[in-house]
Amino acid sequence: MPEVRGEKIVKKVILVMFIFQTISIPSSWVLAQTGSTWEVARTIDGDPDLQGVWENNTITPVERPDVFGNKSFLSDDDIAFLRRRIAEINAAGDDALFGEGVLQAAFSGEITSYDPSTGNYDSQWMAERTIHRRTSQITQPSNGKYPPRTEKAIAAAKALAEHRRDHPADSYTDRPLGERCVSFGAPRLSSGYNSYWQIVQSKETVAIIQEMAHDVRIIPIVPMPHANKNIKLWHGDSRGYWDGDTLVIETTNYSDKSSTSPETDRKVNVEKLTRISETALRYELMSDDPGQFTGSYTREIIFDYTEDDIYEYACHEGNYGMANILSGHRVEEARAAAGLRER
Amino acid sequence: MCDRGAQQLCFLIVVLMQVFVCGSVSALENTEIPRTANGRPDFSGIWQAIGTAHYDIEPHASDFGPLVENGAIGAIPGGIGVVVGGEIPYTDEGRAQQEENKATWLENDPVVKCYMPGIPRANYLPFPFQVIQSTDHIVVAYEFASASRIVYLNRPDFEAPILSWMGHSRGHFEDDVLIIDVTDQVADTWLDHAGNHHTDALKVTERYYHAGPNTLIYEATLVDPAVYTEPWTIRFPLYRRLDENMQLLEYKCVEFTEELIYGHLRKGVSSN
Repeated sequence: MPEVRGEKIVKKVILVMFIFQTISIPSSWVLAQTGSTWEVARTIDGDPDLQGVWENNTITPVERPDVFGNKSFLSDDDIAFLRRRIAEINAAGDDALFGEGVLQAAFSGEITSYDPSTGNYDSQWMAERTIHRRTSQITQPSNGKYPPRTEKAIAAAKALAEHRRDHPADSYTDRPLGERCVSFGAPRLSSGYNSYWQIVQSKETVAIIQEMAHDVRIIPIVPMPHANKNIKLWHGDSRGYWDGDTLVIETTNYSDKSSTSPETDRKVNVEKLTRISETALRYELMSDDPGQFTGSYTREIIFDYTEDDIYEYACHEGNYGMANILSGHRVEEARAAAGLRER
Repeated sequence: MCDRGAQQLCFLIVVLMQVFVCGSVSALENTEIPRTANGRPDFSGIWQAIGTAHYDIEPHASDFGPLVENGAIGAIPGGIGVVVGGEIPYTDEGRAQQEENKATWLENDPVVKCYMPGIPRANYLPFPFQVIQSTDHIVVAYEFASASRIVYLNRPDFEAPILSWMGHSRGHFEDDVLIIDVTDQVADTWLDHAGNHHTDALKVTERYYHAGPNTLIYEATLVDPAVYTEPWTIRFPLYRRLDENMQLLEYKCVEFTEELIYGHLRKGVSSN
């Protein structure tokens, strides 16, 4: 009987070695440009020029893995350790590791499959990953962890998990928003999977194109009130201004539908984008999401410049997966009803 | 002071002066177009076409819609058309395909399924779109389906790596006209609800120029020998949305179409 790949939740770290073939250490991994005389270029309108295609392929996890304790930054020894891992490459490519899976796997010795149900996402899906020194994207709270969830959020997550267990695909609405091609969120901050932004600036507007999925965040940088409170949006309502050389974006009016957590319409995000070198963009997110967390938190990510272009991510137009997921479940139900054993 | 005859003369002079003054203001407004800091015509802003071209780009009288249950709000309004010369120069096979498409509009129009509309259709859907113009790139963000495209300025050798729904856009300026060559669109998009269509050999040359600070003239010439006997052009105005605090909102229509596309696969639906 062929091996059921989806059953393999935990795999040996040897599989990680292949992943690390694709990891690079960019010049921007040194975050601070101390002692540099570098200054950000200006657009024709005199604004700091943030334009270009920026990739978020960092291996830095959102929350600090326990293995790091209170350590906020990777040491030189840690980097050497990663390099040794790379030197120990074993080309046994298996499931891809997106987001924070890479660092977690490297230091814990175990990896968690992104897609245990189908096993479709193998290593060919991996983008070239970059090492940055932080051990967590969360910088506040200082322990590198999200603040505690609210009781409502804990209850909502439990209810959602139970629903998905009992009704995995009764309807398209039982599937995640991304699988439905409805939304991948804004800001989309997942790394390592079509994680590219292109910034284009005009005199009065900054456009942030998220490759996934062809969404353009439009940020007016002229005085303009937020949209009426009755207008709730999947990606919120953004307004921006320049604070020195930093673009500050405040986003409100999030729709409750945009998150599985409660009261998302109360969420306020403040993002700060600062170009810290020709090839690095420091991105900070301060999120106040009182429906989900008992306190606010701050994340920092270094985006790296790339000369590559982004392409159209047409999701819905080719979403055969949704029809196949639903029809597959209907077939399984019919077989179960007929007393046939599941394969 | 004027006597009666003189009063009439005075009134006429005042009226003529007003006409002259107003006319001068209008002429001034119409000759001053917004420009970027480097002197190019500035197309930034939120624009929208007015009309019924999204139903049918060819001249058409009002007609029944596909769902008679929707009564007057579901019928198709007439339109004088935006095709220069009136009709699209289809091959016989091309026209027959259009008529078949029109007969199966609800089932087969990709826009009904919330698929990205392609170019030029995105520019005359009844939704606004926003242009963000920079030096090397122009972003066009469409409210419908969150469709978007990046126009690469002055990169004539940048070939499309793959076909796409919104095509590959390379632009340049000729005097005050923005010209965008759009290639490499998938064949799946239509030009309107009436089933006007193309193949993936379609080449669209768009021309944008100002008729005033708040009005653009849009032209698009379509070349596709597989279905048209000769190049043809559409032309219509685009109007700046002058609403106070106007902004693009979301029309993420996927959620509006899921029942249409996947509803028959839900648990408990009799057609399973």
